[in-house]
Amino acid sequence: MTTEVTSPRAKRNLLPRIAFGGVAGPLIGLVLLCIAFSFASQYFLSIRNALNVLDQVTVLGILAIGMTMVIIIGGIDLSVGSVLALSMMSMGWLERMAGLPLPLAMVLGVLTGAACGLVSGCLITFARLPAFIATLAIMSVARGLANLLTDGRQIVGYPDWFTNLATVRHLGFFSVTVTVFVVLMIVAGIFLRYRATGRNLFAIGGNPEVARLAGIDVRRYTILTYVVSGALAGVAAVTLAARLDSSQPSAGLGIELDTIAAVVIGGASLVGGVGSIAGTLIGVLIIGVLRNGLNLVGVSPFFQMVVIGAVIALAVTFDTMSRERK
Amino acid sequence: MLRTLKTTAAGLLVAGVAMAGTVRAQAEDMTIGLAVANLQADFFNQIKQSVEKEGKEKGVTVVTVDAGGDSATQVSQIQDLITRNVDALIYIPAGATAASVPVEAAKKAKIPVVAVDRNPPDAPADTFIATDSVAAAKTLGDWVCKQSGGKGKLAEIQGQIGTTPQIDRDKGFSEAMKDCPGIEEVAKQASNQWMQDEGFNIAQAMIQRNPEISIFWGQADALALGAAQAAKVGNLGDVIVVGFDGDVAGLEAVKSGTLAATMTQQTQLMGRLALDSAIKLAKGEEVPAMQLQDATLTTKDNVEPFLKDHP
Repeated sequence: MTTEVTSPRAKRNLLPRIAFGGVAGPLIGLVLLCIAFSFASQYFLSIRNALNVLDQVTVLGILAIGMTMVIIIGGIDLSVGSVLALSMMSMGWLERMAGLPLPLAMVLGVLTGAACGLVSGCLITFARLPAFIATLAIMSVARGLANLLTDGRQIVGYPDWFTNLATVRHLGFFSVTVTVFVVLMIVAGIFLRYRATGRNLFAIGGNPEVARLAGIDVRRYTILTYVVSGALAGVAAVTLAARLDSSQPSAGLGIELDTIAAVVIGGASLVGGVGSIAGTLIGVLIIGVLRNGLNLVGVSPFFQMVVIGAVIALAVTFDTMSRERK
Repeated sequence: MLRTLKTTAAGLLVAGVAMAGTVRAQAEDMTIGLAVANLQADFFNQIKQSVEKEGKEKGVTVVTVDAGGDSATQVSQIQDLITRNVDALIYIPAGATAASVPVEAAKKAKIPVVAVDRNPPDAPADTFIATDSVAAAKTLGDWVCKQSGGKGKLAEIQGQIGTTPQIDRDKGFSEAMKDCPGIEEVAKQASNQWMQDEGFNIAQAMIQRNPEISIFWGQADALALGAAQAAKVGNLGDVIVVGFDGDVAGLEAVKSGTLAATMTQQTQLMGRLALDSAIKLAKGEEVPAMQLQDATLTTKDNVEPFLKDHP
């Protein structure tokens, strides 16, 4: 965190429109990817497949919203995958074992996520742990608790209406879970760009000390950001449970890395102060389209890993290069 | 922005033309989707290789996807295979119970499903191919009882809890143990991924708690291999380690004496059978709902031929 690194970001904060320009790089990448797959597979370019991709990125996308905010304030949240599993298992456990009505269990599942975020936030601000370590600890604790609830077993037997949230496409287009994802994206996008509170997050990421001197309650904002990230992991847990028609303690293993990749592909900087929801959406779609397209083309699963890694590296290189040119 | 839009529009147009040209050419031959639970596990990898080899011989295109053990990934992948209009789906479920979602999705799209190794209980596939795990695990248990002279302390490393093979292997082995009261079960723990490193860690902890263990039963060869390594590191002298699956590493270990025995599953046969069943179902022919296969008790005495030519 030297002033040398923070100065270009400070400029960016004064001119939020430049941030919009930052989305162009990943967007071109996404479009190129779509064009390439359209040529490679006859099944790629259809409304049905586009809706499939949206379906498939819902969980990743919801997690990425929270991660974007966390990364903007210069933090990192490694716990989202485990928190997702814990929220999912709490929801299932409360409904199956404790006999609560499912809608209430869903809300409590989301609150479980928020509570995990609160603990991470407090560890970071009050115990002064680095975000990496605090969320690494929560990652382990949450995964353990998720397994402890049912001794590692999965929970099944949700009512039909619950699965229908993820599978029935209303008006032929959007399932409830995809709608939730889209609405959350829009709300978060507006909040980050147009609300003063949202803009404060960029200031904190740019330089926490300056932000504090400018009268921003850095501590409160930091805690709240992790709470939001945790709560969103809870929302993602509910959507994933609906999609899988079950709760699994092993769910979301390693998804935090996909989430971070999506946010970074979308133009956010891991040093903090830079990032946008529009960029993250594109990052999420790049990952989703890539997986979907490679499956449709029928690329060997081992080679898929190679391609995905290469595209991530390429996308971010492209982005940093275009940034330097400016 | 405008330029990007123009590029997109042009791209869509070109792609549309390209699509129209390819549709007819590809409608001729048959495509079978193969959704594998986890290619890092040799057992699944062998089935995959067998299906792909058989597909090449029969002139059928096989599209393989690997879920890496994650059921959410598998649901997405099967959605993609359905979009790709596969004529039939060979499905090795990744999770224990989320398994029904893909079968239902495929049925909705009128695509026949062949389940291998695990079958979703609430939405069974059109046909189910697996080893008769209960019988095989019982055979193995009886052999262990005989080999150990009917006494000893048993430590069990289970597979992923709630999966068909885990439940069946538990059942068969404990049936055999009922007739063998001299063997006392002192430890039992589940793994998440049936992996060797899990087997090692679990076994090491078990030895720490109870150094008297004389028999390790790993519900997969990888788990057993991990346990054998832990026993070696822990200097446990005379210990019988048995596995299940008969994958290449397991068979090599039986040959070298690291594992006392394993149950060799007929992965090549199962792969061929899966593809044949898929082709039959796609053509609208009848296939029995259950196709259970035998596994062979494999010890040092009979391992040689399996290593040369896997059944």
